[in-house]
Amino acid sequence: MSEATNLMSDVDMAKFLVNGYHLVQLDVAEDVNDSIALELDGLDSNPGDAITDVVPDLLQVLKHPKTHGALQSLLGSDYEIQSHRHWHCRPAGMGHMQWHQDGTNNRDRRPNRLLGLYYPRDVTEDMGPTIIVPGTQFRNAPTDRMATYTNIRGQIPLIVKAGTMAFAHYDLWHGTAANTSDAPRHMIKFLFRRTGDNKAPTWNHEADALNKPRDWNLLDKAEDAGNIMSFGNPLKVSQSDHYKERAIRQECWNYLMGNVDS
Amino acid sequence: MSDDPGSEPLRQRLLYLQARTPNVFSEILGLTQIEPIRGYRAEITATEQNWPYETVHEAIVDGWQIVQFPHLQAPFDDRDIDVIGYEFILQKMEAVCE
Repeated sequence: MSEATNLMSDVDMAKFLVNGYHLVQLDVAEDVNDSIALELDGLDSNPGDAITDVVPDLLQVLKHPKTHGALQSLLGSDYEIQSHRHWHCRPAGMGHMQWHQDGTNNRDRRPNRLLGLYYPRDVTEDMGPTIIVPGTQFRNAPTDRMATYTNIRGQIPLIVKAGTMAFAHYDLWHGTAANTSDAPRHMIKFLFRRTGDNKAPTWNHEADALNKPRDWNLLDKAEDAGNIMSFGNPLKVSQSDHYKERAIRQECWNYLMGNVDS
Repeated sequence: MSDDPGSEPLRQRLLYLQARTPNVFSEILGLTQIEPIRGYRAEITATEQNWPYETVHEAIVDGWQIVQFPHLQAPFDDRDIDVIGYEFILQKMEAVCE
């Protein structure tokens, strides 16, 4: 597999800037996912950042060409895999987790920091999937202020196959449903960071990606980066918020193109 | 405790609706229903959302009363975005049998 085939396309990048996440199915050997899940089943304490020492097969996930391709696309060629990582286990019977953004309210609209959420086992609807709210990555809201939200139109449960890595903008709102199954749900969270500004696009970019005629019939359903950037409104927010989001997306796109002052 | 709801004191049911705009006819983007029952929890769910109302107005028609309108006096600029929608808080006072 050539390195270029693992890079994101213009459409992928536009979808990421609109929705704040990008899913990758890692084709590691099936027994690697199984082996990781079984090792996690057997842990009796959380090793914190040392999870990759305790479960070294996780390094295959971090070093996978598709992981590298997505990270290079989103964070530039010199991205950093940060030392913090965490095993998030939702045991059978565990309740839900409220909406939150990670960290404090020092937010960064640019795609400079990513969460990588790896699931070593199939996640079903009843296993307490992570739930994300596409399009919330530019919203700066104290987690306390989210406490009166429960279900939000457009929220997406990450019901995924074993070996899925979900890359999410660090500020994307997320929570977790209750695990009503009789199996634990495992997720390993990794953190990734940009180390330098782009001088040029670092994904599979075509020069006219945003300059094609708009499709006013398909709107954001068209597989066209310009349409997606212009019309995407996953939360169906008001016109004033939508216009602000569009401006922020365009700033991010310009930044990723290498226009540092945008 | 009686099984007859008519003999019970009224309790406050709450409905938090985050609407697309401050207009009661605009589409709801978020919904939280709080029932006045011990141990009740409002939970984020992974299942498909089937909400009883599409707008705040539909909830009013169903007997809910608005007890707090969205605050519109907060400072704003033309660049930043924060919470989702405009929050209405509604109540229904009803007898509840547990």
